[in-house]
Amino acid sequence: MSRKQKTVFETPISRRRLLRGIGFGAGAAALAACGQGAAPAAPTSAPVAAPTVVSKPGSVVEVVYWGFSGGVNEKTDGEVAAKFNAAQKDVKVTVQVQGNYEETANKLTNALAAKQAPDMCLLSDVWWFKFMRAKALQPMNDYITAEKLNPAEFVDSLWNEGVRKGVQYWIPYARSTPLFYYNMDMYQAAGFSKAPATWAEYVDMAPKLIKKEGDTMKVSAFAHSNGASYNAWVFMCTAWQFGGGYSDMALTKYMLTDPETVRAAQFMADSVNKAKWAHVTADPQKDFISGLCASAIMSTGSLGGVLKDAQFKVGTAFLPMEKNFGCCTGGSGIGILSTAPKEKAQAAMKFINYMTGTEGGAYFSQNTGYMPVRKTTAEAESYKAFFAKTPQAKTAVDQLPKTRAQDAARVFIPGGDQIIGKGLERIVIGKEDALTVWKDITATLEKEGEPVKKDIAALG
Amino acid sequence: MTQSLTSRMSFSRLARRDWREWLTFLLFVGPNLALFFAFTYYPLLRNVLLSFQDYNTFTDTGEFIGLTNFKDVFTDSQTSVIMRNTLVFTVAVVVIILTLGLLVALLLNQKLRMRDAVRSLVFSPTVLAGSAVAVVWIYIFDPRNGLILQLLKPLAINPPRWLYDPAWAMIAIIIVYVWKNLGYAVVIFVAGLQAIPNDLYEAARVDGANAMQRFRNVTIPGLSPVTFFLAVTLVLNSFQAFDLIRIMTGGGPVNATNVLIYRLYELGFGTNTSVGRASVIGLVLFVIMLIVTILQLRLLERRVSYAN
Repeated sequence: MSRKQKTVFETPISRRRLLRGIGFGAGAAALAACGQGAAPAAPTSAPVAAPTVVSKPGSVVEVVYWGFSGGVNEKTDGEVAAKFNAAQKDVKVTVQVQGNYEETANKLTNALAAKQAPDMCLLSDVWWFKFMRAKALQPMNDYITAEKLNPAEFVDSLWNEGVRKGVQYWIPYARSTPLFYYNMDMYQAAGFSKAPATWAEYVDMAPKLIKKEGDTMKVSAFAHSNGASYNAWVFMCTAWQFGGGYSDMALTKYMLTDPETVRAAQFMADSVNKAKWAHVTADPQKDFISGLCASAIMSTGSLGGVLKDAQFKVGTAFLPMEKNFGCCTGGSGIGILSTAPKEKAQAAMKFINYMTGTEGGAYFSQNTGYMPVRKTTAEAESYKAFFAKTPQAKTAVDQLPKTRAQDAARVFIPGGDQIIGKGLERIVIGKEDALTVWKDITATLEKEGEPVKKDIAALG
Repeated sequence: MTQSLTSRMSFSRLARRDWREWLTFLLFVGPNLALFFAFTYYPLLRNVLLSFQDYNTFTDTGEFIGLTNFKDVFTDSQTSVIMRNTLVFTVAVVVIILTLGLLVALLLNQKLRMRDAVRSLVFSPTVLAGSAVAVVWIYIFDPRNGLILQLLKPLAINPPRWLYDPAWAMIAIIIVYVWKNLGYAVVIFVAGLQAIPNDLYEAARVDGANAMQRFRNVTIPGLSPVTFFLAVTLVLNSFQAFDLIRIMTGGGPVNATNVLIYRLYELGFGTNTSVGRASVIGLVLFVIMLIVTILQLRLLERRVSYAN
């Protein structure tokens, strides 16, 4: 036993050994090359089968969750999972951060192909339907029943968005709506005590909110988002307010070329190019917090970040009206991936129950500004105290019953958001004729929407 | 009989030697070939295959749809804009980097004080991460608080809205790309200048050539091999300029800075996921780069004078 055992590094390398090593390396490289392409094609119609047993009865079930990325939202999301892990011993949630909604969805697509998907994932309004169409999401009804999750406690419209033919695929979590934010200090300095109720009113107010230095606008009255910051989401509300819209829910009718939608786009373009009281930015939240604009329409989900960072009094209000009031829902919910085994899926549902509930859900929405997705949460004692302290959040919750689900063209057509968003950029920044652009965009949407139309008809 | 046996023996010895040589050859070439196949040839062939398919990333299956992807890409009104942007970007950055790079190299080839420090300074942006450079330049270009605005304020000049103005966004990207890659050209040019034998300059001087004539007749021909090398690599690299565009403009505003490589990303990995169309763009890019390289090799190399 006195002989010291040789380590790998001390073993002399013979020629044969070296050749064997090289051969193995080359073989591995060749195998890697064949990996994706040579894999047998999975049937398109059947969901990926989930194994049934993953752990011994009674052991802790580990669940991987791909959640929020960045700022207050990521921090709070992680805290909700930590609180859940501390509160019980059956399930342990590991939160992994992948990026914004688009980056998460892209990585999830690749992870599914590589059979490396998480058990549950945060999916935005624009993305969940695409994964559901691809049969990548599990029907949740059995897990909901087993977890005794009560759908009646949820805000009906939010809950129903994730249901297709009676089957739940997506449960609301970080749901938001656009909200009108304004810098109360700037408004007061300009002699205004409250936000405008209509766009006509705002057109009169705007010139007094601008600050110029020579020809350079130092502070604009309003910051419009661009394609990168979901301009097609906010503009949908403007289009509705003017009496227009993008499409119906079945994608049988497109409304972009309707005179009302054209007028709405022209109004937005004029605010930047003619009346010059607004500017376009990739990050309205940053501009608003930095005092570069007096107001902006942003997600309620930005409220936590805005209140934390703004050095001025922040006011919130309902979106301004034109012909109508118009405000859509947005944000994200949770899907359980088809690849998750049953035990993990059930454990994921336990976490969903917590993260949307009076404890986890209230903590998340109070810290971020996202909507409380359960009526019972909004009615809880903790919320009453929160509203008293943060009236800005109450405006958002009060606006919620007046909102409605988004037009199918943006949320169901692959790339619909960016197709419309880029069109809007052409009108507002490129100064192109609104009707010509919308005709062009409608043609693209019709083409891209064709395969989705059939699925919508089939799935309901 | 004896003779045939001998010849058979020598034949088998020969065959064994041949086989050994082949084995040695394969051992040397094999690993490289395997890597080339895995990371170059296989993706290339798969890209060709994907361009004819309606590929579903979720299920990893593809349905052959003939030339539909090609038709979609070439009838898309954005494609011509993107091709034009790619051309403008490539021509601009290659011409500017070559010209400016040569001028800076000539300066840094002189016996100046702190020359080495300045050389390192000029080269340093080349080693910086593109994403970090992009973030810093976003602040420099900021239309309301940016550094350029602050610098021009005392002169009462109003700078453009750079990244937010379709007419200026491409110029902004070109400025940053040139700034980041100039050092690379300078270093290569300096090396090229130092490789030109001093005797040639002396001989020219003896023949009565002035500075301009020496530059035209000695420096330029002497630099032609490195200029040729730089032209090829700069063109190929410019086609792959992705990081700056991804972070600074996202191809916008209104497609003003969208180039082929960024379009490929948008289609393959962005929200309008269409792997088939992205593969078509990949093929277009490949064919363009192949043609450009062949043309450069055929036309430019003829004019290159290699020393010795």
